[in-house]
Amino acid sequence: MYPNMFHKIMNIGLFFSLCSTVFAQDSFQIKGVVIHAKDLSPAVGATIVGEKLHSVSSDAGVFTLNNVTQGTYSFTVSHIGCKPQTISVTVGPNMKEIKVYLNEAATVLEEVKVNGKTKRREVMETPMVTHTVSEEFLKSNRENSLMQTLSKIARVSTINIGSGQSKPVIRGLGFNRVAVVQNGIKHEAQQWGNDHGLEIDQHGIENIQIIKGPASLLYGSDAIAGVVNIQPNKIPLPNTFGGEVNILGESNNNLLGVSAGISTRKDKWFYRSRLTYRDYGDYKVPANRINYENYVFELDDNNLRNTAGNEADASLSIGYVAEGFKTETVFSNVNAKNGFFANAHGLEVRTSSIDYDSSNRDVDLPFHKVNHFKITNNTTISAGEHNLHLDFGYQNNNREEHSEPVPHGYMPTPPNTKERLFIKNTYSLNFRDNFKPSDQHGMVVGLNAEYQNNNIGGWGFLIPEYNRFTAGVFAYDQFEVNSNFHILAGLRYDLGRVATKAYYDWYPSTVNNEDGSTSYIKLQRSKNKTLNFGSLSAALGLSYIDNKTSYKINIGRSFRMPLANELASDGVNYHMYRYEKGNLDLDPEISYQLDVAVDYTAKTFSIGVSPFVNIFQNFIYLNPTSSYYETIQIYEYTQAEVFRVGGELNASTTLTKNLQLDASVEYVYSEQTSGPKKGFTLPFSPPLSGLLSSRYQFNNFLFFKKPQLIADYRITAAQESIVPPEEKTEGYQVLNMSFLSEMDLFKNSLPLEMRVKLNNVFDTKYFNHTSFYRLIDVPELGRNISLSVTVPF
Amino acid sequence: MVSRILCGFKSYKMKFTLKHIYLFSLLLLIGSCSNDDGVKIDEEKPTISVNYTGGFPQGCALLTRGETYNFKAMVTDNSALASYSIDIHQNFDHHTHDDQVTDCTLDALKQATNPLIFIENYTIEGGLTSYEINIPVTISSDVEVGDYHCAYSVTDETGWQSRTSIDIKIVK
Repeated sequence: MYPNMFHKIMNIGLFFSLCSTVFAQDSFQIKGVVIHAKDLSPAVGATIVGEKLHSVSSDAGVFTLNNVTQGTYSFTVSHIGCKPQTISVTVGPNMKEIKVYLNEAATVLEEVKVNGKTKRREVMETPMVTHTVSEEFLKSNRENSLMQTLSKIARVSTINIGSGQSKPVIRGLGFNRVAVVQNGIKHEAQQWGNDHGLEIDQHGIENIQIIKGPASLLYGSDAIAGVVNIQPNKIPLPNTFGGEVNILGESNNNLLGVSAGISTRKDKWFYRSRLTYRDYGDYKVPANRINYENYVFELDDNNLRNTAGNEADASLSIGYVAEGFKTETVFSNVNAKNGFFANAHGLEVRTSSIDYDSSNRDVDLPFHKVNHFKITNNTTISAGEHNLHLDFGYQNNNREEHSEPVPHGYMPTPPNTKERLFIKNTYSLNFRDNFKPSDQHGMVVGLNAEYQNNNIGGWGFLIPEYNRFTAGVFAYDQFEVNSNFHILAGLRYDLGRVATKAYYDWYPSTVNNEDGSTSYIKLQRSKNKTLNFGSLSAALGLSYIDNKTSYKINIGRSFRMPLANELASDGVNYHMYRYEKGNLDLDPEISYQLDVAVDYTAKTFSIGVSPFVNIFQNFIYLNPTSSYYETIQIYEYTQAEVFRVGGELNASTTLTKNLQLDASVEYVYSEQTSGPKKGFTLPFSPPLSGLLSSRYQFNNFLFFKKPQLIADYRITAAQESIVPPEEKTEGYQVLNMSFLSEMDLFKNSLPLEMRVKLNNVFDTKYFNHTSFYRLIDVPELGRNISLSVTVPF
Repeated sequence: MVSRILCGFKSYKMKFTLKHIYLFSLLLLIGSCSNDDGVKIDEEKPTISVNYTGGFPQGCALLTRGETYNFKAMVTDNSALASYSIDIHQNFDHHTHDDQVTDCTLDALKQATNPLIFIENYTIEGGLTSYEINIPVTISSDVEVGDYHCAYSVTDETGWQSRTSIDIKIVK
């Protein structure tokens, strides 16, 4: 479009220097030059606009403003690809040189869409209840793991293990009931397990969309409780190069993290890359000893022994963008290793000759390590009225769990430490066509297909090898009744096939036969079995915008296919010290949900409420039975009707120009209304919780720009509703503080971004009901100071 | 609770005012406070103990090969006991320890060749709330001597479980 203008813009900063010479007593000349900070090349065609004054920079970047009288003037300096900035110049004798930095406009202008609607307006119009998390939010709230960062959003919480491992929970449901989608492809790991986190690099993520409530319509099985959709980053501007280095340090577990990312674009081709490394020691809890059942574990210097770990991630992407066509292929690899609390791994009490306390940075047994390799491709083609989206994905998840070889029951001492190995390959394909048959209708038709192949190894059996194929077709229509009233209706049908493979123990067990004889046989744990599933999903939603208030109502039916572990588990889970038994007769879960969202937004005040009611016809639940298998309690996958109700309330106000207050409350009530645990809640139910947050923006001082102080006060009620084997958890209050600022330290470059965070200010000892370690009475992290510095270039 | 939500749903159709937001908030608060469905659920674990006269084995007990011992423990529950198990296994590698008051002296670490393995599950019929486990166990004369571990566990009909374990030694 403007090839000349873009020709030399190879950088992201704009160096703007103004010089002046006195050439008359009361008439001055402002002379300036506009230079790119990066390579000091002149910026051609930048506009300098003030009241009655105007200039454009020449080929050499030079401009002059003549016959300026003494006084203070305000100019706006604009250049394509840069954020315009207003500067103040005092004109008079002995004028000083003034320097201004224009930041890159980081993204292609998203607001300029054909229909002229803003993103905000689109969110208001779509009847689906979503929440968009911006890069700014992610930056100012970053915690130890991505999901912990998101837990500041009402309705999102996490199930944690240790300091850096957590899984998303939306309105109390998690694991495989929340789909995590990255670049359009569903993240497929061993998400059913509760003792490890998500294999996603949390750095370099710009936008996350959260769908609370069933989203099977769009994402198929696993999205029955919601979706965390990590969206592809915005495409960089033509002829730009940029990057950042982020350094993070934390006091509690002595974490050191470095992440560096670059992105560049010529005209049509663009490239992005990121490297991340994190290394952390054992984390500290505000306790000297842990009491679990009748056992007492003394802690060395408050260290929760053997919770150290490390993570190394790399990604590279290559993309091409042209009129009506866009494609990007991303290669990424996440590699992590971390230890588990050594004294009581899962629920079993262990002693060991390993000297865990000799170092708080080493990872001894038990530990797990995981490598997740992923290739995704997203392609968009505009063909006339149609917008076609294609996503391809390949994922390889390789996870090993190691523990000290200990004989158990009839199993002799295993030969090595490799307790379990899972190698899972997942191939995904999504196709979607958006088109507008008329002005009032926005239709989407699509197809998702996924093939999975799971392989196992190690001496501990839990889930069998399996192959799984799922496919679904869907169509929905967003109908505009009038500009303030929209209806969304959609249907979807899914088919799935799971084929499990047989497995036999590697050691003989003693079996007492009915005739009184005794046999020694290698027991069969799983069978060769093929199961087929099919299910219908549907959704209907309305949205109405009445001036400052928006109303949404949604009703939907979603489903979830049973996973291989739910169908075919048959073995001791040493991590949980229980015998898990699958059930081949499980039906797909069916859920009906009614969602309402009302939001009122005025200039300085906003309030929103979003209640929901949800009924599961047949929730799949791992039920602790009263029976034993070789002295280990049997937990069996069963199905029960479940009723849930709850919601969130948010309020936000800007008290003064500099002070903003936010408050939110979230609550969910769950009850099993049939089955062996009738009357009980669901496991890991989050208690009633509120978050008060205040944000004060100071004036610039010294080299600090836009300094902000944020205080978050989390008040959580006790969780009295429990289900075996949980314990009731007391309520708690925790205060977190953070200070954010830009730092203008170097003249020719962009300001640094700094964040100091003080979590758990009072070193409060508290328990989180949704933490894996809650089961063994381990409190949450003690006080933690973290410092993060981001250097853009 | 459903009817309350639907009530809010009806009002949605009326004139849209800010008031309805308060109504929804109220609804949310009502929802958050009510747990009045009247279903009585069992939230109590059973108990298990060998710390009474007759409880066997006591911490650091010495068991002689060739002898038969009555393993005894008291179990109770608020509503109904269901099952229990006894697990006697070697602790030659010192992989775990008991939850009794005293610390026992353990022998040197060693590899197992022919250890005693006793793994049995039993049911408690009749929905009792109190029961004494009493199981005779013969220590066969060919099993390996050394440190052992005796673990009891008990469940109630709801699925709550309690465990206790005792360090013992099998001697010649």
